[in-house]
Amino acid sequence: MTEALIKSNHLSLERLAAAFESLLSDSGRVRIAQGPDAEVASLVVEPTTVAELGEIVRKCESDSLALVPLAGGNTLRQIRRHPAIVGVSLSRMDRIVNYEPHDMTVVAQAGITLGKLNQAMAEYRQHLPLDPPHPEKVTLGSLVACAKAGPLRLSEGRVRDLLIGIEFIGHQGRAVRAGGRVVKNVAGYDLMKVMTGSYGTLGIITETVFKVRPVPEKWELLLAPFENASDAFEAADGLYQQLPLLHLEVLSPVVSSQISGTRKSLVVAAIGGNDAEVEYQRGLARDRLKGALSTLTDVAAFETYVRLRDVEFEDAAIEAQIAVLPAKLASCLNALQCEYVAYAGSGVARLFAREVKDAKQALELVSEWRAKARASGGHLRVVSLAKELRSAGIAMFDTVNEGAMKLMAELKRRFDPAGIFNPGCFIGGL
Amino acid sequence: MGNHLGNGGSYHFRSLNPGLIDRLRSIVGEEGLIYRASELKVYECDGWTIEKNTPELLVLPKNTAEVSAVLRTLYAEGIAFVPRGAGTGLSGGSLPLNAPVMVCTSRMNRILSIDYANRRVEVESGVVNLHVSNAVKAAGFFYAPDPSSQAACTIGGNISENSGGPHTLKYGVTTNHVLGLELVLPDGEVVELGSAVEETCGYDLVGAVVGAEGTVGIVTRATLKLTRQPEACRTFLAIFADVDSATRAVSAIIAAGVIPAAIEMMDQLIIQAVEEAFHVGLPKEAGAVVIIEIDGLAAGIDERAEQVRSLVLANGAKEIRLARDETERAALWKARKRAFGAVGRLAPNYATQDGVVPRTRLPEILREITNVSRRYNLRIGNVFHAGDGNIHPIILYDERDPDQVRRAIEAGRDILKACVEMGGSLSGEHGIGAEKMNEMPLLFSPDDLIVMAELRRVFDPLERSNPNKVIPQPGACVEVAAPRRQVAV
Ligand SMILES: Cc1cc2nc3c(=O)[nH]c(=O)nc-3n(C[C@H](O)[C@H](O)[C@H](O)COP(=O)(O)OP(=O)(O)OC[C@H]3O[C@@H](n4cnc5c(N)ncnc54)[C@H](O)[C@@H]3O)c2cc1C
Repeated sequence: MTEALIKSNHLSLERLAAAFESLLSDSGRVRIAQGPDAEVASLVVEPTTVAELGEIVRKCESDSLALVPLAGGNTLRQIRRHPAIVGVSLSRMDRIVNYEPHDMTVVAQAGITLGKLNQAMAEYRQHLPLDPPHPEKVTLGSLVACAKAGPLRLSEGRVRDLLIGIEFIGHQGRAVRAGGRVVKNVAGYDLMKVMTGSYGTLGIITETVFKVRPVPEKWELLLAPFENASDAFEAADGLYQQLPLLHLEVLSPVVSSQISGTRKSLVVAAIGGNDAEVEYQRGLARDRLKGALSTLTDVAAFETYVRLRDVEFEDAAIEAQIAVLPAKLASCLNALQCEYVAYAGSGVARLFAREVKDAKQALELVSEWRAKARASGGHLRVVSLAKELRSAGIAMFDTVNEGAMKLMAELKRRFDPAGIFNPGCFIGGL
Repeated sequence: MGNHLGNGGSYHFRSLNPGLIDRLRSIVGEEGLIYRASELKVYECDGWTIEKNTPELLVLPKNTAEVSAVLRTLYAEGIAFVPRGAGTGLSGGSLPLNAPVMVCTSRMNRILSIDYANRRVEVESGVVNLHVSNAVKAAGFFYAPDPSSQAACTIGGNISENSGGPHTLKYGVTTNHVLGLELVLPDGEVVELGSAVEETCGYDLVGAVVGAEGTVGIVTRATLKLTRQPEACRTFLAIFADVDSATRAVSAIIAAGVIPAAIEMMDQLIIQAVEEAFHVGLPKEAGAVVIIEIDGLAAGIDERAEQVRSLVLANGAKEIRLARDETERAALWKARKRAFGAVGRLAPNYATQDGVVPRTRLPEILREITNVSRRYNLRIGNVFHAGDGNIHPIILYDERDPDQVRRAIEAGRDILKACVEMGGSLSGEHGIGAEKMNEMPLLFSPDDLIVMAELRRVFDPLERSNPNKVIPQPGACVEVAAPRRQVAV
């Protein structure tokens, strides 16, 4: 459809590229998409300022060209079935604008990666405690747009808990700001929440403001293998009820073998604090977990945490995320045939299916998982599908009730009346 | 227009017709309507008492179905309404402006279910904040956001203002604790947003409703997170010669990577007022005191307490006292939470301001407040959430003197301007409401405000729910400003 539109306008991609080029101050910032980018967009445009991005948005609106943010990650490639015409890369908008260690706030452009940002704050022993897989590849724009999170969600929360200000380019190329640089702020409507998890459908995020947190003085990782998953979940729950853990996971045996070398259900718990707190927690965990508890510190702890954070399967046919009532996570996962990283206490899990025959089987499997998640009070989002399964008509996002859906459609219509921002692939086809 | 004489008082509907009153009566019953002038007087303002305006009619539905039927009826007649919880708001959020009907949630005050296994509680929106914590206390839990008004304010009001409290420094504000909502849209449609699970599906509409200040309809139910009570806590009173050294000590604690549960400061004016009212043993000659509470595991808490003690002493405290037991601790918190009330003894009226600066700018903003106090010749006290840079200057005045009222308003405005100039905000927790609407352009561009207004219209396209709040309307503010100041001056 997008191809047809271009042809009917007698425009070649080259001419379109030239038209975008003329909106930018430097040359060489527009190119025909190659490789993985080409699955998402036909042209890649790299603005350096908010003003340039505003011009790009206006041009896309007046010519009805779909516009998507390119963040280098896999997310958009997964949810878009057809490339949009224009992909915006914010790789040239990747500065830390203002970091105030004593206020514990940081303002950074959306193109910087989470990894880089955290490196810059390390000398003050502070970090943005959001830890999705591969933070070195996750830009702040995609972190917010896709509401990414990882193990630390248990103790530090999610994007919605830490994002205190935002700037995005919306309808008519307007630069819109909300929130601010202070950690407590109720002035104006909370557009931070609206943009978090909006998958590029309401505008292009250009700047983010976060509260940051101290890195714990000391932390350790406790690992305990179990013969079966139910026992592992029960033990994890026991810890959760008594300790303020930094994070807590239960891993299926195959995932466990990637992390620790043991092919058994594995409980991973991170404890932190001062010496006395760590010692007490370690002791209590030892009593509770009995059996073969191992304790990792320093480099070993960090390396294991990184493996846990970044778990992936080269051969995974389907990756999904479920969110259910925390107390139902164990029974829900028990009923599913899959490998998983379960964030006990949060009720969230990453699921992986490795051997799927064909698209039809994939569709059935996702439907079954989704039904189970719903039966446990929650929902399921498909994170990624192997290429050959993408034509199966699997809905990446779950559904919401009719009333909420109507409001979501209205939100999309009001924020993006021209329908150019990553159209057609979010919840309910928005 | 109708003019009736009932038993016990007169009432007068400026714009509502008697047919409508009858239809509403058939929904909520006679006991669900208040329309006599003498009874409506209570509803002429919230805690922001500078501006007053009585609604023509107060409606008290008992459940979601009644709220929905009431709103549907008003919608059909083109009548705007203002939601109200307990009316403890401090920015004129529930002040009726071009909204003749007030809908109050006080009869919707049931806790519907408590689920300890999942740490969730479902409540009706009229439930009083403290009642939630009380209900789950024995099981070892609490509801974390704890506004100082928590013995009176409602969960619906908290949600609409995104309220905070002393302990939100560590535990987060209301928006961090609300997972799901039931909302009645201004046309009467009932929608469920979010759920009891942690991840959002689709746009985060719950996040949009929290903090929307009653401009998107009426919240009727909420699913909240429960938090486990900490094993142990230590509460200190740190005493300083002046506010400057007190704020430096606050910064030092935070910079050391310690996140206390609460850090609350009171200046000399407040210390003296509180001491006279409650006799808790605050040092009246001190320039400032800071209540510092740390909590967590019992193991290690004494080390942490020692760390706080030495940081505070190294940064200019004259003295630091540890609350020896729960009674002493409770006395400190009682003093803090009732500080506003104590100030009531110092002047006929007071206006509580709410602004935010980056924590490191606290010394500067406090100096600026002193300047403002001199400039307008008004006494201003400070009792506030120092850990988050959230200031609450309390401006004392006498509403019988129109010039003092004018000065109080201007002094508040100057302080807010200074906050914004220091990179801060117009409100940390009390909301914009009617009070600060016209200051919004200090913080936001016309484009920002246009888009925020669009978000509101997603829920309320005709702006029937709490009109003339939050976002200044060009032209409209002149019309509403004059009549709503009727009683105050
Ligand atoms: C002594 C005192 C101390 C205070 N301390 C604090 C503090 O520490 N922290 C803090 O944040 N605030 C504080 N406040 C302010 C106030 O208590 C809070 O804003 C509180 O959340 C208001 O709740 P309420 O039920 O009184 O709401 P109201 O004042 O009745 O209403 C507040 C706003 O919410 C709307 N509203 C109310 N209920 C609903 C509903 N169900 N659906 C939709 N909209 C609704 C109203 O229209 C209005 O805009 C204090 C106030 C006082 C008087």
